[in-house]
This record gives sequence, C-alpha cells and structure tokens, in this order.
Amino acid sequence: MPDLSNAVPTKDLKEWHTPSSRTEVIHELIHGVAHCDHSWFWGFNTSWWAPMPTGLSTVLGSEADVSVNADSADRYNPSNLSWMEEYLQSQVRDGEYDLFANLAILKLYQFNPQLSNPEAIINILLKALSATVHGPDFNLCLAVLREPSAILHDIDSDEQSLVAVMPFLQKLHELVRTCQFTKFWSEWNGGSEAAQILRESYAPQHAHLVDSFRVLFATSIASCFSRVRLAQLARWLDLPESEVSQWCAGVQWSVEGDVAVVPKNGDNDVKAGVVKEHVELSQLTKLVAAAAY
Amino acid sequence: MADPTAFYEPEEDELLSSLAVPSFQNAEGYEDDYRRMQELEQHAFAQHAETGEMGLEMVPEDVKRRGEWAVGEEKQAKAAWSIGVEEDFLVLFHQAILENDLPAITTMYESGWNKLTQAHYSASEWPEAEIISPLVQNDQVFLTLYRELYFRHVYARLQPTIDDRFQSYENICELFNYLLNSDGPVPLDLPMQWLWDMLDEFVYQFQSFAQWRANPKNKAEEELDMLAEASQIWSCYSVLNVLYSLVQKSQINEQLRAEKEGKSAEEVAEIAGDYGSKPLYRNLGYFSLICLLRVHVLLGDPTLALQTMEHVELSGGAFLTRITACHVTTYYHVGCAYMALGRWPDAIKTFISVLIFFIRMKQYHTRSYQYGSITKTCERMYALLAICTTLSPGPSDESIMSIVKEHYGDQLSLMQRGGEEALETFKDLYLQACPKYLLANPPPYEDQAALEEYLANPPQDPVQHQLELFLSDVVSVRSVSSLRNLLKLYTSIDASKLAAFNSGSASSSSAGGANGESAQQEQTEEEVLQQLMALKAGSRTYAKQGEGSLLDGERIVTNNLDFTIDGSMVHVEETTSHRRFAGFFIRNAEHAQRVFNTIRAAPLPSATRRPQVPNQNRDQSQTQGQTPGQAGAKPGAGAWQPRRARVAAQ
Repeated sequence: MPDLSNAVPTKDLKEWHTPSSRTEVIHELIHGVAHCDHSWFWGFNTSWWAPMPTGLSTVLGSEADVSVNADSADRYNPSNLSWMEEYLQSQVRDGEYDLFANLAILKLYQFNPQLSNPEAIINILLKALSATVHGPDFNLCLAVLREPSAILHDIDSDEQSLVAVMPFLQKLHELVRTCQFTKFWSEWNGGSEAAQILRESYAPQHAHLVDSFRVLFATSIASCFSRVRLAQLARWLDLPESEVSQWCAGVQWSVEGDVAVVPKNGDNDVKAGVVKEHVELSQLTKLVAAAAY
Repeated sequence: MADPTAFYEPEEDELLSSLAVPSFQNAEGYEDDYRRMQELEQHAFAQHAETGEMGLEMVPEDVKRRGEWAVGEEKQAKAAWSIGVEEDFLVLFHQAILENDLPAITTMYESGWNKLTQAHYSASEWPEAEIISPLVQNDQVFLTLYRELYFRHVYARLQPTIDDRFQSYENICELFNYLLNSDGPVPLDLPMQWLWDMLDEFVYQFQSFAQWRANPKNKAEEELDMLAEASQIWSCYSVLNVLYSLVQKSQINEQLRAEKEGKSAEEVAEIAGDYGSKPLYRNLGYFSLICLLRVHVLLGDPTLALQTMEHVELSGGAFLTRITACHVTTYYHVGCAYMALGRWPDAIKTFISVLIFFIRMKQYHTRSYQYGSITKTCERMYALLAICTTLSPGPSDESIMSIVKEHYGDQLSLMQRGGEEALETFKDLYLQACPKYLLANPPPYEDQAALEEYLANPPQDPVQHQLELFLSDVVSVRSVSSLRNLLKLYTSIDASKLAAFNSGSASSSSAGGANGESAQQEQTEEEVLQQLMALKAGSRTYAKQGEGSLLDGERIVTNNLDFTIDGSMVHVEETTSHRRFAGFFIRNAEHAQRVFNTIRAAPLPSATRRPQVPNQNRDQSQTQGQTPGQAGAKPGAGAWQPRRARVAAQ
C-alpha cells in the first residue's frame, strides 16, 4: 500500500515482489507450484475446453478429477480465477497493491482468453499506473495483454469501453514516466470519453486513487527538490493553492513562505564524492601465502 | 557475420589479456569470479581431455573396426549401411543403456551418434524406429529414446513435416509419461548432457511449432485439418505441465533450498524423496527450471521467469555451468528478463559474466555440435550489451566492451547521438537480438469462419509487441540525455536559464501565440523541471546486491552526475571515481607467481630436446599446476571433482 504519510522512494524491492499485505494463501498460489497435483491441467475439462489430447491424457496418470480444492491451488488453474479476482477487488477496496498476484490474473487471461474480464484488466492497469513512476509495472502488465479489440473479440462483449480506456491509460503512463504531471492532470480531468469512464466508474471503486497519484508524484518531486515553490507544487499535484500547505503537512514537508521544504532523503541532498578503491585483506591471501615461502 | 563461428576470433594477445584481466566492477566479487573461471576452465579441460581420450578408447572395438571398414567401402550400395555400422552401433547403444553404463552412453551419445550422422545421415533421416525395433528386442524405452534422437536430427538437419512435429510431440510425451508415471523411479540413467539436450530440444520444438502454427497462411488443406483437430499438441499448457511435473516429481526446489541452507547430503536426499535423489530425476528437474525460465520469457512474463529461478544458484561454481549450452541459455534469458524490468546494470552484469566465460571456454567447445547455436546466442548478447550500456552507461569489463565496440561501433555512436536514427538503431539491434517471443494461443483452426476473420485481422506479432514496450522504455530514458550533457557544464544554474538553452529546439514549435512572455517562460521552466525529474529517476534503478533471489534489488545510483533543485536553482554535483589498480596488480602478481611456480616445477631441459620442451608443455602444465593449490584453498569446491570421482568409481 502506498504510504500516504511519507513521500520517499523505497530502498529495496522486497515490498514490491512480496508485499506484506499478501495473504498466505495467495503466496502459496503464486509460488507454490510444487505443492499441488496437476490434475486440473486436464481435469477442468469442461465444455469450453478443448478435448483431451490422446497423446498426453496419461502424462499425469488417470486422476482426471474435475474437482479442484483450495489446497491444490495453482496459478494456472482457471477455476481459481474467481477468488483471484476477489483478491484484486480487495486490493482496490483497501488500497493495497500486489503486482505479482495481478500478473497471475493476467496470465490466466492470456491462456484462457475467453475468461478475460475487461473491468479487472482496467483495475490492474490503474493499480500499476498508480504504483510507480519509473518502475516496469505498467509495461509488465501490457506485455501479457493483447490489443483491446482482440481481448473483447474473444469474450464477445458489446461493452467497448476497454477500446477507449486502454490506449488512454497507456498515454497517461507515458506522461507519468516522463514526469509531465501537469499534463497528466489535465488529461485525467479532461473531457475525453476514457477519462470520464475512469473518473466515474473506476476511481470511486479505488480507495484514495487520486491521493496515491499525488503521493507518487510527490515521491518524484522529493527525490529532486530540496525546496519547491508552492505554486508549482499545486500544479503538479492538482491541488488548489489554498490546500497545498495542508497537504504538505500531511507528508511532513514544512512550508516557509511560498516554498515547501522537503526533508533530506538521500536523493535531494547529493554531495560530490570520490570513489576510492578498497582492497580487502582476503584479496591478498594468495600473495601473502606466496610471500611466506 | 553470416557465419556465426566467424563472429569473433580473438587475436592471440587479446585472448591472453582477457584471460589475465577479467576486470570486474565490484572489487569484492572479482576474486570469487576469477577463481570460478579457473575451476570452470579446469573442468572444461578435464572434460575435453576425457572425451578426447574416450572418443578413442570407449568406442567399442568392433564398431571402430566396422567404421573403418565402412569408410573404406564407401562406394557400396546405401542399403548396406542399414545392416552395417549403425546396426552394431544401435545394439551396443541399447546394451549400454540397459546396463546404465554412463561413460559408454556418454561417448556413444556425444561422439558415436554424431559421427555416424555426419557420415551417413547428413541429408536424410535415420531409419524409422519400427525398422530397428527387432535389433533391440522391441525395447520400447530404447525406441522412445531413439525416436527422440531421430526427431532432433530431423529438426536440426532437415525440414520437419507436420507429421514429424506431431509424432515428435507424442514421442516426447510418451517418454515423460514413462519417467513420471511408472511405479516408482525408473531404472534408467542418462548423461547430464543428454538430459539437457532433451529438454532444450523440447522447448525449441515447442517454440518452432508455435511460430509455424501462428501463421495460418500457406498451409495445405490437410495441415489445416490436422491443426484443427489437435489444438492441444504443443500447447503452452501441455509444455508447462510437463516441465512443472518434472520440477514437482524431483522436488528440485526443495532440494536446492535445503542445499542452500547447508543441510547434509543425507538430509537433502531425504527431502528429495525416491525420485529426486536419483540423478536422472534431479537433473531433469533442474533443467526444467531453466526451461521454465525460457518459456516464461518467450511468453512475455519476465517476473515469473525470474521467480522460477528463485532457488537456482547462478554465481560461483553453479551446477548449470557444467553444461555450456545450459549456462549460456540461462544467462541470456535472465539478462533479457532484467532488460524487460528496466534493470540495465543487472542485465549488463549477467551478459558480461557469461561472455567472459564463453571467451575462455571457446577453445574447449568448438567440437560440440551445439557450438553454432551457442555462438549465435553470444553474438546476440553482444548486441544487447550495446543497447544496455548505451541506456545505462558506466564502467564495465573492458575486454568485453572492446569486442562490443569492435562489432557495434557504428550502432553505438548512432545510439549515443540520439534522435530518430538512434531509435531506428535500437529497434534493429533489439530485433536482431531479442528472444523470439510467442503468442500463447493458436489461431482458431477449429472454426473456419473465425479463422478467416483471424486472417483478415491478425493479432499483433508478439515480437512487435515487445519491441514497442522496449522502445517506450528507451524513449523515456533517452529523451533527457541532452539535458544531462548541458548540466555537465555547470555547478549551479537557474532552471529558467537552462530552459532557455534547452528550448532552442524544443520550444520553437510552441513559441509565439497569445500567451504572454512570462507565461511562456513559466511553461518552459516547468518543462525543464519535469525533465530534470525524469533524469533523476532515470539515474536510479534497482540492482541485485549480493545474496538474495534474482528479483531482489536495492536502489542504486547509476550516474556519476547528480543534482539537487532548490526552488528553481539546480545544483550539480559530480562524483568522480579513481581508477582501480589493485585488481590488476593482484591478478598479475598471482599470474606471475603461477608462471614462476610452473617454471620451477618443470624438469630441467635435457641436452637433446632443449628448445621445445618448456614451450610445448607450458599451457598444459600450467593449468594442471593449479589443481592442488585450488583444492587446498577451497576444499571440495571444484565443480568437476565429484564428476571425476564418479567416473573413476565406475
């Protein structure tokens, strides 16, 4: 979950690949390939699935049992999709973020195009968009998705909003990663169809979506600026100037006159340095040993 | 450059210098890496010598004799071959497999089979399994293994037909079925190299089939019908299923984890269970992990790929380095995955480490039939290195970078210059060097109408899709490079001034109009500040530090130019690094010591053969001379030692 009280870049990737909010069950599902029996590979052989191949039906024995219980959870099992999507909903609702679980959902869509859920896709992309400025998250999601029209074609959906929304999200992503925050807000608040859909039907589902964007941008700002003008800040964060001071207090930036002072965080207080060579004693063991003779 | 083997032939002294100075960025790592290189080299040398000798000794006498006879009688009718040399070869091969005689199987697999192929089947198939089945008492297991070799040969040398593709799939499934679903572990042992080749080929054929199937054009009616019926053949699910089943059966992840925790061999064996404790299953499980890495990269899922490798040790004398093809494939795909994550320094490190290895191993591997494909993969890695080092400049291994410059000098300068041309160059290099990404799902062959619609409106090519994502990364990183060059000139500068300098090209399009001068100024200053933020973000990335899984990383600074903005004043700070000398002197002092020891240990030259002896023996005795010291420094660490012990025990 984006920490709304502190806008500093994270130091390592632990929280990124294994968020603390992830439950044990989900973790097992994403990592626990080795703990399951693979009966469902053939076992979920319901009407929509292609007939069992003759050459392979026996690869895993005859236990072609349709039932899949939660213990044999596996990331490729389409029958887990419903509660994977539920987990996504809980991320949306509570403002948590678990990229790897979301990628697992997209993976299931990739392998089972007929199960694709445009709404879930948009939520996942929104999540990725609001998670990092320069991280690979958004593109990682795109990498396992096809063009929106192809996705909709496979599910015979009349709901065409994905066609408008996906390119729009891509555009927003380009703006975010090049730090054009002012433009981002004018697109986001703009009158395009996609922006309206996002604002009206998706943003309300998310807990503090707009706030996450603000903290995200503030992180970028904090890594550059030791002091930043409030007027500028207001534009980048899409806040009325009267509220900027208050917002700054929320992330522990102090306000002095018309500038906000950003606490030092290692990125905004760089010092010129000289990198010197260090030689450890262990590197010299051979030489010392040779000298001993 | 068409001939991959002609890609890079190091000059004598160049090779020597690369041997002597694998200069690594991180001072603490190089010692281990260097030692590892030595171990690998010894291992490769031992293997080389072993196969070299065994090639002569282990080919059963009569096969050799018959072979000579056969070559002598070259002009005889072709039919004679099928009852001649190969017959004996196959009978003995069968025998060796029945007896689990590993050294004999290894020789026959690595040299006998290839020699016979070279001599008689360079342009045609081996006899069908049905024809040879009486020779081997209709042993189905052997016939399955034989067919595996048969189809691999078809794929490598001939054009596989749709029947070949289907049958090869069924055959390999039969084999895995036998391995996984017999009552208990099967009493079979195969050389590691064969097991790797088998799984490698499995993924290769999957890839080849997926590419062939993805295009419904130019397919015969009959082929379309077959594809419509068999949508499961070589499907992603079935391939993943096989690989995951092998992983699961061998408990390889649990084994590797236990080994990492330093558990004793008995404990590991207990964790491994009945299957995993047998080398056959363990090796298959291990190689499956690497194949999974590959499949996931091909399907465009780099995080999952790296996650699969969670427990696989990459550094040091890792198991996978014992098979060169496996080593190179693994590092190539790990590097590609890092590139997709935008972790350029990690990608660079990965590529460089395997390329150094490859240059040093080159001399021992020219004989392998996979040498061509290994070289091709390495060639791609040089291209990817050119890309990565442009996107994330910094000090890296000089000997490798000089090769990159030699081959991609033009492209490098184009990419560094920026602009449209640069983007084109990035694109060309990437297309040339990236993995051949795959679509997860086949076209709808089973539905005629849908297929026509598919043809009229084909989905985006997966390689193209990945290329677009890659280029979007490049654009976001490169767009700010001109600003960086400007910053280099100042210690502090006002953002508005910077904007004025930078706007020479940028603002000409937006200048003028109704906006007042000050508003215009504001606008461009904001733009510059935004670009500065992008530059800042571009000079930070996450990189793997020390121990931890491949996905772990810590935030690092990749740029020696850094800055802080105070209001609108930009303060620039540059970090300088001293040249590193210690590594160079340590390595060369050690090298001199080794040379000295070798000379001291060499016998005094006899009066008659004085001039030749020291020169001739130098290389060999030098390599061997290291052995005792090595074992003493790190007991039992030599990757090759267990193997030699095993061979000796048999």
